[in-house]
Amino acid sequence: MPLINMPEFSSHLLDEFAARGTARIDTPVIQPAAPFLDMAGEDLRRRIFLTESETGESLCLRPEFTIPVCLRHISNATGTPRRYCYLGEVFRQRREGDNEFYQAGIEDLGETATANADARAVNDAMQILESLIPGRRLTVTLGDQAVFEAVVRALGLPGGWQKRLIQSFGNNAHLRHLLMTLASPQAVSGLSPELVELLGQDEAALIAHIDRTMQETGYSTNASRSPREIAARLKEKQSLAETRLDGSALVLLTEFLSLELPMSQAPAALAGFADAAGLAMGAALVTFEARAEAMADLGVDLDKVTYRAAFGRPLDYYTGLVFEVSRENAVLAGGGRFDRLLTLLGASEDIPAVGFSLWLDRIEQARAR
Amino acid sequence: MSTITIALPSKGRMKDDASAIFERAGLPIVAVGNERSYRGRVEGHGDIEIAFLSASEIARELGAGTVDFGVTGEDLIREGLADADRKVEIAARLGFGHADVVVAVPEIWLDVDTMADLGDVAADFRSRHGRRLQIATKYWRLTQQHFSGSHGIQLYRIVESLGATEGAPAAGQADIIVDITSTGSTLKANHLKILSDGVILKSEACLVRARKAEHDGDVRITEIVEAVRKVL
Repeated sequence: MPLINMPEFSSHLLDEFAARGTARIDTPVIQPAAPFLDMAGEDLRRRIFLTESETGESLCLRPEFTIPVCLRHISNATGTPRRYCYLGEVFRQRREGDNEFYQAGIEDLGETATANADARAVNDAMQILESLIPGRRLTVTLGDQAVFEAVVRALGLPGGWQKRLIQSFGNNAHLRHLLMTLASPQAVSGLSPELVELLGQDEAALIAHIDRTMQETGYSTNASRSPREIAARLKEKQSLAETRLDGSALVLLTEFLSLELPMSQAPAALAGFADAAGLAMGAALVTFEARAEAMADLGVDLDKVTYRAAFGRPLDYYTGLVFEVSRENAVLAGGGRFDRLLTLLGASEDIPAVGFSLWLDRIEQARAR
Repeated sequence: MSTITIALPSKGRMKDDASAIFERAGLPIVAVGNERSYRGRVEGHGDIEIAFLSASEIARELGAGTVDFGVTGEDLIREGLADADRKVEIAARLGFGHADVVVAVPEIWLDVDTMADLGDVAADFRSRHGRRLQIATKYWRLTQQHFSGSHGIQLYRIVESLGATEGAPAAGQADIIVDITSTGSTLKANHLKILSDGVILKSEACLVRARKAEHDGDVRITEIVEAVRKVL
């Protein structure tokens, strides 16, 4: 039976947050479940504690802080930029470790100088961990969703394939499977002969056919996908199936994903890769290099940060930087840039955002050792 | 010697088919008291007790180890129990109650024939329709395993549906369904089609044993399994 008390280093942590000019924010422990399931997917359902209100609303115990902090920011309408910090309990069904534990972190919302904000988030996480666990070796791993996306785009694949690859970034098993599919030709299946003929005609005929069938089957009234959408994707699917990644592109993509090197060498290595491959990766590389410089300016030792090209998180609101600080295989801090999250949660304008959270139970264990 | 409890479906075809198999296996079941009683015994085996339960409760009781054997659909075992293979063993497939748990989409989704197609549609769904793709089902666990585990599809929402699931897409409650089907005729009548790789589980009624330590070395356990297997 775990007795959950605030970690003894909590006040030190709050001092660290205050020294960085962040404002403490608290959020209710009981949260509406829908935003978490919408953002992270149904998989989360098994890992959170769900309940229901008397009126049938699905509620959960706060499984993390980023979404509640963003929701609160949106409802407070206090304007940006804002840097929030939090410290509190979160609840998850875990195979290992307790089901309730403390997390703390910083969410930096609305800072438009994104390279600097990224660098500050990484630096803050590293500095705070170094102060909590002095003198121990920490492993810092950094990835970048935007760089992967730039590589995929530069390879000139059809849009549908780009989307598939980008979507699966961070899920390495699935990504490997996709690359294998791309390497071998495949036929479109499940099309009737009359459909094949319709596909040969103009799109209007196809749309009309779909529309008619929908009317006849009584499906139109509540149809989520329109005849136009179905027709367009059918055409796209045909072109996707005919696409084969030529050998060299596959080699390039695989080569890129295997990149793993100190951050101090990463910008040059990426530029070299782009040059050698003849890929125009433009803005993503500029941002990557600017971030590395900003990290160096803040005093981060870039030799101690590892860039791993395949490191990502398969959630569609992450847009750029992702990073992790760990010690002996235990992740102590995780963070990243999630520029899409606030609009997904209902913010009326784009709000760039970066942040990280600290796993206080693991930090406590690392301190005890 | 302890009593062995066998849980059987309490009504319908499943009850009759299960009783028939035990009869053939030389373990004729008689109700205790009147015909409608939910307790039974096996003639000539005073140490075996029959509990008539609803099919989904049988899965739960097996998982909890409160019964030794149960006859129920594999779908209910895999859906009802986390880590099913660790908790129970499928001792025999009984050859009745055949039904597949399938992913079915509107027939008119001409562009969707595989899970990969569905993955593409799900990825874009939010930006096109302002919400995630919705799946009506009562099979939460099987759906998650198939979508996330086997096909890397994360972005969807489950809408709980306890009955008439096939009607959900036309009624606008969900976009697609995961449901059980034996002949496919209800799917067809509701203009739904099964994806080519959309069969999640080929289910049938099974004799299921709860994995309990006290079964080790108990010859009666092996005898019951062997008797049933012999008549299949």
